[in-house]
Amino acid sequence: MHALDADRLQRDLEAIFGPRRVSTRAVDLETYARDMWPRMLIEHRDGTPAPQRPYAVVWPEHVREIVALVKLAREQRIPIVPYGGGSGVCGGAVPLRGGITIDTKRMQQLRAVHADELICDVEAGLNGERFERELARRGYTFGNFPSSIYCSTVGGWLATRAAGQLSTKYGKVEDRVAGLTVVTGRGEIIETDGPSRALRGPSWTQLLCGSEGTLGIITSARLRVSPAPQLRVFRGFDIEDIASGVAAIRRVVQKGLRPAVVRLYDELDTLLNSFTHHDAAADHDEPALAAPVPLLATGALPAWPEGPAPEPSFVEKLVGLAKGKGVAGFRGGAFKAALGQSELVNKLFGAVERVARRGCRLVIGLEGARIRTEVEAALTFAELEAAGARDRGEDPGWSWYRHRYAVSYRMSPVFRSGAFVDTMEVAASWDRLLDLYHSVRAAIGRHAVVMAHFSHAYPDGCSIYFTFAGHAPDAAQSERIYDAVWRDGMEATTRVGGTISHHHGVGLLKAPYMAGEHREAMALFEAAKLALDPDGIFNPGKMGLRGRVR
Amino acid sequence: MTLAADLVTAVGPEHVEELTDPPGLRVSPGSAPEVAEVIRRAGAAGAAVHPVGAGGRPTKVERDPRGERPRVFISTARLDQVVQLDEQSLLVHAQAGLTGLELERILAPRGLSIGDYPPVVLTSSLGGIISVRTPGKSSARHGFFEEAVVGVSAVLADGRTVHTRVAPRRSTGPDLARALCGSEGTIGFITSAVLRIHAKPEARLVAAFVLPSVDAAIAAVYLALREEAAPSGLRIYDAVETAVHFPGAKLEPGQALLCAATAGPTDLAACDRDLIASAVVAEGGRTGEHALAEQWWKRVHAGVPTPGPQPSLQIMATPSKLRPVYHAAIDRAQQLGHTASAHISRFDPDGGLVFVTSDAPIAEIERAAEVAGGYLLGARAHKLDGYLRALRDALDPDQIMNPGTLS
Repeated sequence: MHALDADRLQRDLEAIFGPRRVSTRAVDLETYARDMWPRMLIEHRDGTPAPQRPYAVVWPEHVREIVALVKLAREQRIPIVPYGGGSGVCGGAVPLRGGITIDTKRMQQLRAVHADELICDVEAGLNGERFERELARRGYTFGNFPSSIYCSTVGGWLATRAAGQLSTKYGKVEDRVAGLTVVTGRGEIIETDGPSRALRGPSWTQLLCGSEGTLGIITSARLRVSPAPQLRVFRGFDIEDIASGVAAIRRVVQKGLRPAVVRLYDELDTLLNSFTHHDAAADHDEPALAAPVPLLATGALPAWPEGPAPEPSFVEKLVGLAKGKGVAGFRGGAFKAALGQSELVNKLFGAVERVARRGCRLVIGLEGARIRTEVEAALTFAELEAAGARDRGEDPGWSWYRHRYAVSYRMSPVFRSGAFVDTMEVAASWDRLLDLYHSVRAAIGRHAVVMAHFSHAYPDGCSIYFTFAGHAPDAAQSERIYDAVWRDGMEATTRVGGTISHHHGVGLLKAPYMAGEHREAMALFEAAKLALDPDGIFNPGKMGLRGRVR
Repeated sequence: MTLAADLVTAVGPEHVEELTDPPGLRVSPGSAPEVAEVIRRAGAAGAAVHPVGAGGRPTKVERDPRGERPRVFISTARLDQVVQLDEQSLLVHAQAGLTGLELERILAPRGLSIGDYPPVVLTSSLGGIISVRTPGKSSARHGFFEEAVVGVSAVLADGRTVHTRVAPRRSTGPDLARALCGSEGTIGFITSAVLRIHAKPEARLVAAFVLPSVDAAIAAVYLALREEAAPSGLRIYDAVETAVHFPGAKLEPGQALLCAATAGPTDLAACDRDLIASAVVAEGGRTGEHALAEQWWKRVHAGVPTPGPQPSLQIMATPSKLRPVYHAAIDRAQQLGHTASAHISRFDPDGGLVFVTSDAPIAEIERAAEVAGGYLLGARAHKLDGYLRALRDALDPDQIMNPGTLS
């Protein structure tokens, strides 16, 4: 866009937002040019400027301002990209074709908690941790605890169908939505509320959840809350291998038991985790139910609390393997010999683990109303033992709980060191879950060191969370490895009938695989796009949709 | 070639029938590809298509906004097969013409169940249950029926078949199956669906309680639900309705009877029953005769007839509105000089249903209930009509799919 247009655009935006809530400063445009997509972090590390930047960033405080912006964008055919906490890992907030980036963080009120209905009314820009803290103060929880909770927003959760660590009990965010307020591409405010079961017609709430800003801008939501838990119980178990662990989890959830969290670590994940913290001596005091950070009155992100353990996280150890350094206790020649041969490292670890008979670690936790949680915990633990799991007491569970947010905030040193790390969260029904695990692990393992854990279990299936790390001498080679991991991992997922994303979303990263994921049903998504965003101004170029804006 | 002859070549002569009231052709395809062929041929001939479920006959046909044109009623009667049963994942892929009860009969010998939904809901075909969103298709234990739908196969207006993919949960855009659920055949013709099913519970327990008032009974229910009890069935009868349904029960005027059923692992089912009992005591109630609860459960789930007239109307209310809606409905009937009684059931996170029995003019009771915050059967969010129209236009520019419905 040429200078005259830019001046006019700035004037038009200032007419809507005032001069202080519009920015065209280079530092802001550079900041909002990316999210936490690791591929872009590799470029950023090497000093490559972002290939696309927004024309301007705006900070609305009221839904009316977004309506005015949409009208302006329609007239001038300018894209609009919503931006919450910027914690997305798929490039969903990247302004692929420029345009205006809407930072929602000044819309951050928890407007009401309707105790009788167990529903709250919350604005989209509220930070996740502050949301849970404010609910906890009133005696409630939304139940969504992603590891990004300190740097993600409620709107971002809804736009991506996020999941928290306690999803087996509370469900994913889309399971907890009673209604949304959305500005559509026609510049209208719609509310999808009403007892959904009493209203005829398709569920607009479920069409808009997960649309990642391509169908509308979510400005507030009515979300279901639960009474804050009165009791929390954790336990660690060891189990022979992945197959036995998967069978044990399935047995629990299909019995009608609802633990809040179940995590089964594969051999390498078990090994690196146990060296890190799971078996470390820990004080047994139950931490406060809310996270230990003071509430900030401003829209700024809360500070990360005083530190996780100073020793390297398991991610850093994984990267150590990728770089051929080995880890404490397994240091030495075998890994150095395997430098650059991730496939060999992966195989080696499987073999070491089998010989050592360490088995796999399973962490399980329950929370909720006191009496029912006690009964459910006893039944759950008995069911696991009947399935062959060996009880390792409370420590491994509490240790996981204490460190549950730490990993996401330990990525920067990894990238600074020249390596890269990313996660791939896929899911499938139980009948194909082990196929999914072996296929994807083999696919990733051809290019990078990989470990996995199973979490987010439901009666009909489960998610697998792969963490992989790689290292190459320069950005170009790193990107080549990175792209190969994703290409082969996604293709392996689709081949065995899994879903390519359980909770991170699609963005740019997985857009090429959407046709394989939905096939002919993409026609329904395209139709929804035409209905809600007829001019194609919302987040163009994402999610495998055909974009038509300039 | 006439449309009738054309359709005969698609599905065979024994599966095409001419109807007079309403006028049109009833076609019964035997497979999803045949449904696609019928829709393609009907569209090419300028006809509209309407789905017909377990009833076998088209009931209410809306006026076609495009004016009169031939109608093809596509029956799901022959789409009555289980396509796949995945006992490991507890998923069943069943065709749309199978009724819920027929599916339940197929699952039962394998120790499986569609779930604790009201049997009256399950008398409909699966396609009908999924296509039409009405309150009450829910269970306090499993939630709303629609939430059990993991995948849907449907034929679009141009004859394309779409299968939304099965995953326990996903984060790959909107829930496309939910665009088809509730769309009443206007977006696609549902040919089959993948549903979550359940293992038969280890134990089933029932209990009856007497409470000082309907208000106290509602309060007890929500107290127990907040303690995370997940009963498989709950019903509150006011004193008048108790006298009709359970002539032996001795309730004082104004009192209420609460029947509850719990299910699951034995200890958990007992825990849930005890949580409800504690909530009842907290609200000033006591345990009632066990036989009443058994009678109630048999009537609802074993088809034992219920005495007294059928309810005149049902009103949906959110948790905080159940009390005002109940009182508004009863009070209005009494103000008009009529008798009225009610029971409240089908509890789920959205609320519950108030079933009112009265000889008062229904419209009067409905108005009073609406003013008190209730939702009537068939309510719609009209503000979103423009978007639904646009969605339909994108997929079905000639509006052949169940025209007039939801518009």
